[in-house]
Amino acid sequence: MRKIAIYGKGGIGKSTTTQNTVAGLAEWGKKVMVVGCDPKADSTRLLLGGLAQKTVLDTLRDEGEDVELDEILKPGYAKTACVESGGPEPGVGCAGRGIITSINMLEQLGAYTPDLDYTFYDVLGDVVCGGFAMPIRDGKAEEIYIVVSGEMMAMYAANNICKGIVKFAQSGKVRLGGLICNSRKCDNEKELIEALAEKLGTQMIHFVPRDNVVQHAELNRKTVIEYAPTAPQADEYRTLARKIDANKMFVIPKPLTMEELEQLLVKYGLAA
Amino acid sequence: MSLPIATPSSKRPAATNSCRVCAPLGSVLAFRGLRGCMPLIHGSQGCATYIRRYLISHFREPMDVASTSFDESATIFGGQSNLAAAIKNLVTQYRPEVIGVCTTCLAETIGEDTEGILREITTEDPSLPPIIHVATPSFKGCQYRGFHETVAAVLNTVAKGGKPMSHVNLLPGPVSPADLRHLREIVEAFNLPLLMLPDYSETLDGPSLATYAPIPEGGVSLAEVADAGRATATLQLGATLEPGPGAGLQRDFGVPLVKAGLPIGVRATDAVLDSLAALARGSASRSSDLDSVVPSWLSAERGRLVDAYVDGHKYVSGKRVAVVGDPDLAVAVAGFCAEIGLIPVLVASGALTHRMASSLEALGLAPGAFEVMEDADYDSIQRRVVELKPDLVLGPSKAYPMTRALGIPLVRIGFPVHDRIGAGRILHLGYRGTQRLFDEVANALLTHQQDSSEMGYAYQ
Repeated sequence: MRKIAIYGKGGIGKSTTTQNTVAGLAEWGKKVMVVGCDPKADSTRLLLGGLAQKTVLDTLRDEGEDVELDEILKPGYAKTACVESGGPEPGVGCAGRGIITSINMLEQLGAYTPDLDYTFYDVLGDVVCGGFAMPIRDGKAEEIYIVVSGEMMAMYAANNICKGIVKFAQSGKVRLGGLICNSRKCDNEKELIEALAEKLGTQMIHFVPRDNVVQHAELNRKTVIEYAPTAPQADEYRTLARKIDANKMFVIPKPLTMEELEQLLVKYGLAA
Repeated sequence: MSLPIATPSSKRPAATNSCRVCAPLGSVLAFRGLRGCMPLIHGSQGCATYIRRYLISHFREPMDVASTSFDESATIFGGQSNLAAAIKNLVTQYRPEVIGVCTTCLAETIGEDTEGILREITTEDPSLPPIIHVATPSFKGCQYRGFHETVAAVLNTVAKGGKPMSHVNLLPGPVSPADLRHLREIVEAFNLPLLMLPDYSETLDGPSLATYAPIPEGGVSLAEVADAGRATATLQLGATLEPGPGAGLQRDFGVPLVKAGLPIGVRATDAVLDSLAALARGSASRSSDLDSVVPSWLSAERGRLVDAYVDGHKYVSGKRVAVVGDPDLAVAVAGFCAEIGLIPVLVASGALTHRMASSLEALGLAPGAFEVMEDADYDSIQRRVVELKPDLVLGPSKAYPMTRALGIPLVRIGFPVHDRIGAGRILHLGYRGTQRLFDEVANALLTHQQDSSEMGYAYQ
């Protein structure tokens, strides 16, 4: 089983990219589980056709420790298995601890079955604390893809996530598989992210162009692959899925200093 | 300052044989000095169990401490419902006059808004007894800090201003029940009405009862504490306290703050009596003419103490000592040691105040002649003791494994004293407490000399 975690700045399109990629893999016949690690619990909405999922933590809160797997694991598009870890109310408690609890519970309940080809963790924003690093600790996820765009803060977050990977790569198996550029139509965006990838010692595994069909699909609570299977954007996600499936480049990234990062931006961002 | 200060244990990856205890323990101790108070620890249940066990072994008194008993889900979702349920249960089962809520590291780490939750709970049910909240994360300080923060929180929450009254506030710090009783005796001998916060002289050293009292009798009542803002002055004991819990009363109500070190030794006790005499005369001016107002029994005790110093001087003079304890106790005891001709070579505490060295110098100890260790653990203390070779250690029972291993006598003082009975009755303060301490120090040195002599001892 390939164990993959998707990180990236908030609002960058992690959940959309993850679910569309998963749809691409599932459509192709791969058995995939998606574990949403965001207290907002919106990581499986497109696969399930809405926020149909009761989260692991809500279930734990309402029903105590006696949780059955089928209460928290719902079948989604093309036989994908969907889990949302969930979390406390905003401003209360510890969401990081919630992620830890959820993943431990999934393990105890035997969610990680041998027939799975892939597990995807879709993780909120950044590696803000130990809880959000949980998917990359203890070999729970071994491949990280970072969703990024040509915007400064997205790149800054990507670089920061790389620092988190370095921390755990030294003691475990986690490696960076590449950057996924989710285009915001910035100047020289493709070149910029390719240059960033090179500096980090990784690859830009795919450049996902911006297309309004993604928006339409989202409003219909579907992935593009399900909503508009013949649209060119659906093929972009299929391509990304194939590239991830064929990927052999796994590295310990070399994070940039803030200065290097800004130089990179000036070089490409102002060159237009 | 050019003093050699050993590496604090915070700079090392771990503490070995910790010298500090959790902040909520200090908080519970202070809450125990409020009449009808039930302490409630917000966080994991083990914290309450540990604190109860630790306090019981020292005081040998029943010690009911409630816990909001976090489990994993409370850790994730916050402990609001636990706190509400705990308060409800407490009120039903204990009928407390006041509830003291302090926090564990767990609640603090998850960013629990304890203050906000309590506001909600009390707004919802105005019939609840008063609740006093104090944040006591142990990663920010130990029992010493927890104690003083609690005293400050009680004063902040309860004290009110108004027409001036004739009493004196006494903030004694974390001393023994026997010390509290003696302080009361001294202050009242000056005909000064006294408000002492906290006062666990009865709650933690009470009589044997036929029926178990879950909240023991005694302590200062909230109504009394409310008058703290109207006192003539606040006398705050503890040399390292800066500014200390009495500062709030000065800031909010203009109650003059008189600071003094713990009265251990002739000089330190004289200084406290001097302050009391000045207060008794209704004057802020100090006078060296103590005789006119100092009660005769205190003068008699002073006389006997000085006589004992003379009698015992040959046994103690020039001997080297290490002192371990809460910062104010360690500083005051080291000052006393210097007064009787012992040489304090090491003064150590598990707490961190950054003020022990300067406080010792203010007592007249020569800079550079002694070492100070703050934020220390017993492992690092032992390393220095091996080097400095003191003849005697004064400290809590946790120093015993060290003194036993090194063959040095230990005079037990402060907290905790787990391996002797009567810990709550150890008197450290005043001429009388100093007398007891002096006799014990001299006798410990004599015992050690006799025990280690090949010649034996006889007196014909």
